[in-house]
Amino acid sequence: MSRKKNSSTSAKAEPKDYLLEIGMEPLPARFLSSALKSLSSKMEEALKAGRLSFKSVKTFGTPRRLAILIEKVSPKSEASSEKFFGPPASRLKNPDGTYSSAADGFARKYETTADKLLIETTVKGEQLAVMVNRPGLSAREILAKAAVEAVSSLEFPKSMEWEDSRFKFARPIRSFVSLWGDEPVSFSLAGIKTSRALRGLNGEGAKIEDASEYEKILRNMAVLASLEERRQALIKKLDWSAAEGGGDWDKDEDLISEITAMTEHPVPVLGRFDKKFLELPQPLISLVLKKQLKFFPLKNSGQLISAFIGVRDGISEGQNLVKEGFERVLVARLNDAVFFFGRDRKRPLESYLEELKRVTYQKDLGTMAEKAARVEKLAENLIGLLSDFPIIKNSLADIARLCYADLTTGLVKEFPELQGSLGGVYARLDGKDERIALGLEEFYFPLGPKTPIPTTVEGGLASLAGKLDSLAGCFAAGLIPTGNADPYALRRQAFGVIRIALERQLPMDLEEAVSFALATQPIVLAEERFSQIRDELLDFLWGRAQSLFEEKGFAIDEIRAVKAGGLKNLSRTYLRLSALKSVRKDADFEPLAISFKRASNILKQAHYENGNTIFHEERLVDPSELGLFEFLKTTETSLNEKREADDFDGMLKSLTKVKPHLDLFFEKVMVMAEDMELRQARLSLLGKMVRLFKEVADLSEIQGASSK
Amino acid sequence: MMNFQNIILALKEFWSQKGCLLIEPYDVEKGAATFNPATFFGAISSSPVQIAYPEPCRRPADGRYGDNPNRLGKYYQFQVLLKPVPRDVTDLYMGSLRSLGLDVKKHDLRWIEDDWESPTLGASGLGWEVWLDGMEITQFTYFQQMGQAPLFPVSVEITYGLERIAMYLQKKDSVFDLHFNDERSYGQMFKEAERQFSVYNFEEADVEMLGRHFEDYEKEGARLVLKGLPLPAYDCVLKLSHCFNVLEARGSVSVTERAQYIARVRGLAKKVINCYLELENVEKKEFINQR
Repeated sequence: MSRKKNSSTSAKAEPKDYLLEIGMEPLPARFLSSALKSLSSKMEEALKAGRLSFKSVKTFGTPRRLAILIEKVSPKSEASSEKFFGPPASRLKNPDGTYSSAADGFARKYETTADKLLIETTVKGEQLAVMVNRPGLSAREILAKAAVEAVSSLEFPKSMEWEDSRFKFARPIRSFVSLWGDEPVSFSLAGIKTSRALRGLNGEGAKIEDASEYEKILRNMAVLASLEERRQALIKKLDWSAAEGGGDWDKDEDLISEITAMTEHPVPVLGRFDKKFLELPQPLISLVLKKQLKFFPLKNSGQLISAFIGVRDGISEGQNLVKEGFERVLVARLNDAVFFFGRDRKRPLESYLEELKRVTYQKDLGTMAEKAARVEKLAENLIGLLSDFPIIKNSLADIARLCYADLTTGLVKEFPELQGSLGGVYARLDGKDERIALGLEEFYFPLGPKTPIPTTVEGGLASLAGKLDSLAGCFAAGLIPTGNADPYALRRQAFGVIRIALERQLPMDLEEAVSFALATQPIVLAEERFSQIRDELLDFLWGRAQSLFEEKGFAIDEIRAVKAGGLKNLSRTYLRLSALKSVRKDADFEPLAISFKRASNILKQAHYENGNTIFHEERLVDPSELGLFEFLKTTETSLNEKREADDFDGMLKSLTKVKPHLDLFFEKVMVMAEDMELRQARLSLLGKMVRLFKEVADLSEIQGASSK
Repeated sequence: MMNFQNIILALKEFWSQKGCLLIEPYDVEKGAATFNPATFFGAISSSPVQIAYPEPCRRPADGRYGDNPNRLGKYYQFQVLLKPVPRDVTDLYMGSLRSLGLDVKKHDLRWIEDDWESPTLGASGLGWEVWLDGMEITQFTYFQQMGQAPLFPVSVEITYGLERIAMYLQKKDSVFDLHFNDERSYGQMFKEAERQFSVYNFEEADVEMLGRHFEDYEKEGARLVLKGLPLPAYDCVLKLSHCFNVLEARGSVSVTERAQYIARVRGLAKKVINCYLELENVEKKEFINQR
């Protein structure tokens, strides 16, 4: 019906692009891309809910603007009618013939009156009903409402107030442009009325007549509005500058994204500095360049050269002034670094250990010196958990002893991000063995979810010890992360523990390691509390293992199936998972999992526990149960060999052959026999099967295909 | 080329033209221009404010005996506080840079997220540090909280780092080489003071005396608040804060003590704020009219 109406109106009623631009004071770079995603999904949802059709959505964003262009938005939304049901029809009127309050209330809810209510027969009997007809609304009406709601509900990690209506946003909003084609979609929010005014990079203005001109107008004012286009332009220009500078630029993803988000028109500026600064530790130079000044370092065969690329926002006017400015700031920062470095190097790294006694780690967990002592001891204990693993014990001991020494150096106090890497640099300058220097350098590895773990086993173990001590200490002190709050970065450290154990293939029992770590804490725990905290920490670690496995493509039920004993040997757990995943593809697997679940449930209901009953195998009588018994007996022998070889695939494949025997067993016998001894024998038989499977995976955790 | 005193004059001239009341520095030691009572009370008061002033600031721990070309134990800020916040405030700011002879089109002007927090005042705000060709020259802050209470209406604070700006304009690599006027250098005027104050703050300050003064001013401030005298009580907050800064530079404050000292300063600041608001809101006294 509405469609007919539309086609009968004038030719003007064609779909048009809708533009919404929020003009702001500079938005923090880290907020930009998620704000754009959120803005576009909110607008899309609102248009869909309003049944207003459109073709596609594009976003634009710079520090000064968040914008969305919705292409080909219909002039009008589709009309609709929907029926809603209310109280039983019997309650329509009072005994005196007037409409009941229930009927009035129901009608009011749908903005009608009781005399317009319908009576409909439903499965519940006769019910009052109301037909709600929603006429098509104009695009401008829907868009204005959608825009106001989307802008009002955008969330940022931090918001502020700046004007009288106390509107909250990441930074003050200074303009709105809202156009459907050439027609304004007006609204007023945060004390700002919509207009046609666009702002360029240096505050110059332009008037926009039609939504579709948006990108072009901004481009004319030297603003590259599209985030992706700006990023590509930046990368291309950085390549050119690097070639001119005679090196490769450090393609730091975080820095590229940050610069893209904090500029409207990025222009690289190649600068140089005195070669004498190259005597400073390379990580320090990189840090000064990247973190302090947001410059890209240049390298030649992996070594920094005395050139860098800064990025300015704007066209290339006054390029030399900018270059001089960049170079002068850099020299000031490098001179500062030289000052601290020279002072630090007056004595060896070892001598800084003494000062750890004056640094508090955490009020309940003592000083950094005490933490260092715990880590040293824990590292030694960890060796004991790795019986035959080749480890150079002296190197590990040195790494564990020196790992926190750099914290009291002047440079780390000035640049905390240098912790670890500077210890490595100083150890090398002190003439320590490369293995030790590398271990110190990589002590805090992995720094991110995808960044490398320590290179050597010794470095890995020291790092594990440091992390486990932090985790154990914080858990004992009740500093357990909740929700988003994780001030001690315990999630990252736990993730590091899992990654090191797994990627280094350390056959280490993490349950034992956690017990060691907890036992050395200065907080003395009663036995019960100790095991409670230990379990909490193990769960926490398993949580990280689970996310890691999920990332590697394992399904959540598969991961649950290997949870028992999962932390006792993570490499094995990984193999068990892979075996499960590969066997799961077989057609027979799902029915087997169902039978297995049935067996598990029977055991559970009978309160059967492994090992506390004697297996009276002689009581088994039925050929089906004898068949199952024989199968398990022969398989068990062959499993031993496979287990030795960590051939979990083979184990699981042998075990899945139990299916016909198990099916026959369930078909022929009743487990819960009257005869108690026979019942026990049958339970023991199922118990044995379940136990054998569980060495690889607990199939009762596996969800059926339908519920996946 | 603009000398140091001409930079101050140009900023005064610019902001005066924009309707700001030009006040002069406050005569009690402070770590930042924000601590000047004109800003502190200006931000919490419900009255409009438009003020501008230069302010000497002391950061005892930042002194380097005059040996480091970029570090000073005492330096100058130029502060502007505006409430309500004009819509074109960032453009106004860029205009002020033009008054210093900086054509922003020829430079890289970058607004880097930098939220401000003062644990001793229980204060926080959101804003930026402004980078001119990589050098931080200004802090730009929208105050959101003072004494841990939300502020309304919101004011914006623009704090220029005068030495940084001068080093940029005069192309100097050492702060001591700056031309203060056309005859005298910054070093001639302040280098010896930097040395002497570093010796004092790092080596000579009487720890026992400072501890005593801290206690005394804390008591005095609390007493004055009870008498309904928030302005002199606030002087005590400044004294506390400065005693603490010297004690810290002197290296006699442990980590746990540090937190306690800060909590004590904040405690008194909070009392002062409550006392001030009480007088302003309940007794309708208008003591700040800075527009």
